[in-house]
Amino acid sequence: MRGVGKIFHHEMKKIIKEKSLLFGFILLPVLTLFITVGISLLQPKTSGESVETYSIFFYGIDVESYNIGSLDDKQIWLQAVEEEPSEFICSEEFHKSDVLVDFSDLTHVTIYYHASNTISSYLKMSAESFVRESFDMSYKTQKRGEIFRSVELMDINEKDTSNRMIAMLLPYMLILPLTANIANFASDTIAGDKARGTFYQVMLSPVPPLSLIMGKIFSVSLISLFSSGIYIGLDVIGSKICEKAGVEDVFGFAGVSVTVGQVLLILLYAVLLCYLFSNLGVLISLFCKDANQAQTAQIPVTLLCTLASMMSMFRFGTSPLQHYLIPVYNICLIFQDLLNARAKMGNMAMVAISLLVLSVAVLILTLVSYKNEKVRT
Amino acid sequence: MITIEHLKKTFKKNKVEAVKDVSLEIFDGQIFALLGPNGAGKTTTMRMLSTLLTPTSGKIFFDGKELGENEEKIRSRIAFLTNEIRLDGQFTPDELADYYGGLYEMTSEKINERRDELFEYFGISEFRKRRYDTFSTGMKQKTSLAICLLHDPDTIIFDEPTNGLDILTQQLIESYLLKLKEEGKCIILSTHILDLVGRMADRVGIIVDGRSVFCGTVSELAPSQGVETIDQAFIKLYKENHEEKAIIGRHGKE
Repeated sequence: MRGVGKIFHHEMKKIIKEKSLLFGFILLPVLTLFITVGISLLQPKTSGESVETYSIFFYGIDVESYNIGSLDDKQIWLQAVEEEPSEFICSEEFHKSDVLVDFSDLTHVTIYYHASNTISSYLKMSAESFVRESFDMSYKTQKRGEIFRSVELMDINEKDTSNRMIAMLLPYMLILPLTANIANFASDTIAGDKARGTFYQVMLSPVPPLSLIMGKIFSVSLISLFSSGIYIGLDVIGSKICEKAGVEDVFGFAGVSVTVGQVLLILLYAVLLCYLFSNLGVLISLFCKDANQAQTAQIPVTLLCTLASMMSMFRFGTSPLQHYLIPVYNICLIFQDLLNARAKMGNMAMVAISLLVLSVAVLILTLVSYKNEKVRT
Repeated sequence: MITIEHLKKTFKKNKVEAVKDVSLEIFDGQIFALLGPNGAGKTTTMRMLSTLLTPTSGKIFFDGKELGENEEKIRSRIAFLTNEIRLDGQFTPDELADYYGGLYEMTSEKINERRDELFEYFGISEFRKRRYDTFSTGMKQKTSLAICLLHDPDTIIFDEPTNGLDILTQQLIESYLLKLKEEGKCIILSTHILDLVGRMADRVGIIVDGRSVFCGTVSELAPSQGVETIDQAFIKLYKENHEEKAIIGRHGKE
């Protein structure tokens, strides 16, 4: 790996000195901040006005939907749900003002509610009374008093479902700028150098091909990751501005609640993903005559990756094991699992290994291609 | 000393035989001029010599060591400069010298010593803190040359080194090449300027349609063809060896 540090250092300096490249990773995120904050501020305030009815959902028992009264001129409905409680409380159907009663274990009934929401807390009390009265009746009629029946009240905020919005959006928000930035920087680092005639001077030096390629990949990875970090960082700032203005930001960062461990793991996977994309970007760039051609050639990769991240946005609950084998889509699932605190060690290891294996395979292909006449003429 | 034996290069993409059979002997302490019409295979031969391209067959030896086995070591002893090779425009000559010197594993002291010497010679010293992309064509070429020679190479390969330069810069480069020759370096020049060959070269190699048709001293060239001047000898060799088939779409720029 002789010379990799020098190549990396030179490439970083080159990017920092090139104003047109700087536009991509500083000015664009700032513009995005203005756009997202602007859109958010235009949204109607969402402090409960949009909810037309309140609901007490039941899981595990079959009940007909019926209206049990009204509160603040809004009807209260009892409804049965079939979705697993852990998934249902993360869904769009379940509002902050609602309550879910889980009857799946009749010896231990759980009521999910939002302690911070007055309506939800009120409905929780009603649901709790209903459960206890029903059990009393059951006890009296069926003589099953010896069975211990408890009612657990579960505050959803404490159960940390506050990340559901960011979990849905993060893969898309990370992958889009990441692929776009890598397409930009990787195109310039090799195809751009070839067009300018500066690539051959480095090829003629005694630096081994692996060092040359790795130096370029590392610089593309770091600068792209940094740029994507700026995007997300600015969106978080934007969300805080929206929060102060009394509106929810369109990207839903306001409800983020993550631990240091979650952040570090997300960062680790982002680094792995970035390294894979950079490898791919450099490989494509190697076969192109100039940066424009390389950027055009990378559009399908950017689109496919963005599509995979968008598909993951509409997925709730857990995914089957085979989904964790689909490249790019699998890392979106891991991001979501990490944020929803349901990541499994096996899936995480499998995704990390698959990313590394893919990266090494692309790197080997790049090194083989480096000797190709098309690259050298 | 460089020995080239039956060098051949066929480009896989379009199956063009850019170099069919080139054999040359190039000695240290001499200037070797590589001549040939456009599309003859000079640049492809030089690209193979500089390790940019791999020959389809044939062998290249640097001081008896075959190129394929010792590519990285040999690259550290070569300098290759063509009009196509440029330096990063965002950097100053000082920064470029630091970078390229580092790639050749030169110490800071050695870089500074060589940089001062070369910058002084080529008149770059006062512009050493200015960005390369703000330079004129001649200044760019001089800077490229200085950076290219920074690692004190034993073999210097120049593809039309004075092309498009003013007479003053041409003279400066020519006199530096003569200085390098006196230092015992092996210099290979590709040029269309036969006058330059007569003035500077010790030996000459002529390539026509991808084949070497002459390799000897400059003084031998004209008598060997029974003519009086280098120009006449070159034209005669070309007419005798040129295949009538039109050379269209040849790979490699000449």
